[in-house]
Amino acid sequence: MKHSFIALIEDKCTSCMLCVRECPAWCITLDSHTVEVTEEGARRPRKVNVLDSFEIDYSLCMYCGVCIDVCPFDALAWDEHRALVTADREDMLLGIVELRPSDSS
Amino acid sequence: MKQEFTWHKVDAGQWFTTIGEQRDAGFTYFDFLTGVDRESLDPDKSDSQLQVEVIAHLAKPDLSDSIFVHTCVSEELDSITDLFQAASWHERECAEMYGIAFTGGDSRSLLRHETLSRSPLRKSTVLAARVLIPWPGGAEPQIKEDGRKAGNSSRRRQRPPGVPENWLKS
Amino acid sequence: MPALPDRLTQVTCYALASDPTICVKILNASLACCTLELQAAIASGEFVETDDASCDRQVTVLVVAGTVTDALVPRVMELIKSHPGAKVMSFGACATSGGPYWDSPPVSKGIDQFVEVASYVSGCPPRPEAFIQAVRVLAQIGTQA
Repeated sequence: MKHSFIALIEDKCTSCMLCVRECPAWCITLDSHTVEVTEEGARRPRKVNVLDSFEIDYSLCMYCGVCIDVCPFDALAWDEHRALVTADREDMLLGIVELRPSDSS
Repeated sequence: MKQEFTWHKVDAGQWFTTIGEQRDAGFTYFDFLTGVDRESLDPDKSDSQLQVEVIAHLAKPDLSDSIFVHTCVSEELDSITDLFQAASWHERECAEMYGIAFTGGDSRSLLRHETLSRSPLRKSTVLAARVLIPWPGGAEPQIKEDGRKAGNSSRRRQRPPGVPENWLKS
Repeated sequence: MPALPDRLTQVTCYALASDPTICVKILNASLACCTLELQAAIASGEFVETDDASCDRQVTVLVVAGTVTDALVPRVMELIKSHPGAKVMSFGACATSGGPYWDSPPVSKGIDQFVEVASYVSGCPPRPEAFIQAVRVLAQIGTQA
């Protein structure tokens, strides 16, 4: 599975920024905002971080997997290998949609 | 090779003679010579000028025993190429990486181009790219919400690892 | 600069095992670790050495595989210019952007600064399958393996 592909499971991400800070190549960027969620029966609303954007620059990524190791919520994971071949370097900047695991519906 | 390693510390002035003594005592295989910048590891710097530790590893040819000889220097040290010719490349690399002159040795650079910055492995040499390029990890997405810091982000580091606080002044 | 020796400028012609009418001429500017994956791909059986005459369609691919230092740029440019019409493939993170060494002063932050790149392949190193895919794209025969 190693050196295959790093995928993001969006629902698990809490924008803790650990992957961004620990990436040795500085290839991850994320942006998020806070949303109040009211749940029935809860005494007060709680604040939840919602991802606005999450990008991995695969022109820099060295597939070390440190981001996967440090994520406390298992929001990043090794995925099936996909050959990332592009005609433009900018197309290697993958966002939330492109980073979805290959087996997600 | 035994698992416990012997470390023998000497003053810089005794470097050449000690290496010679160890060689005569049977440690005739020169393994490597390298440097370590001790600046960040010894906050109580009584020898504040002697920042770079130079380490030589010698072994017996049958590898039954080995010894690490080490000393602390600021900028100069005797070359041991008269004792071990093989030390020449190691000293040249140590010289260009830590800015140490090995007197009596080969002073040509080994790997680095002459136009590049000197002594890149010294802690005081800051890697400019990591300082000047904005660190994605410095962003605080939650702050923009209501102007105050969310959660415990005030404890988050604001600088990338390895970037000293007052890098402009060092 | 002395001339580049022949063994470094050789272009080998291969037919693709999956599409034998298509020939790919590969020149491997083998600079660093990515080269090994390239060689693994070539040794995988997908590339069958052949002579020029047996090809309906041909594409010449010059693969820059590995870290390019600023000191090496003139040599790489010389290699590229000596094969006009070759499609340049930036193989791996180092050739594409400097990769893990982007912060190092002597390293070039991507060969596309001085040459037009036809194909970028992500990876550190990319897998041999990625090279095969990239070649298929350059030969315009689709990406079905």
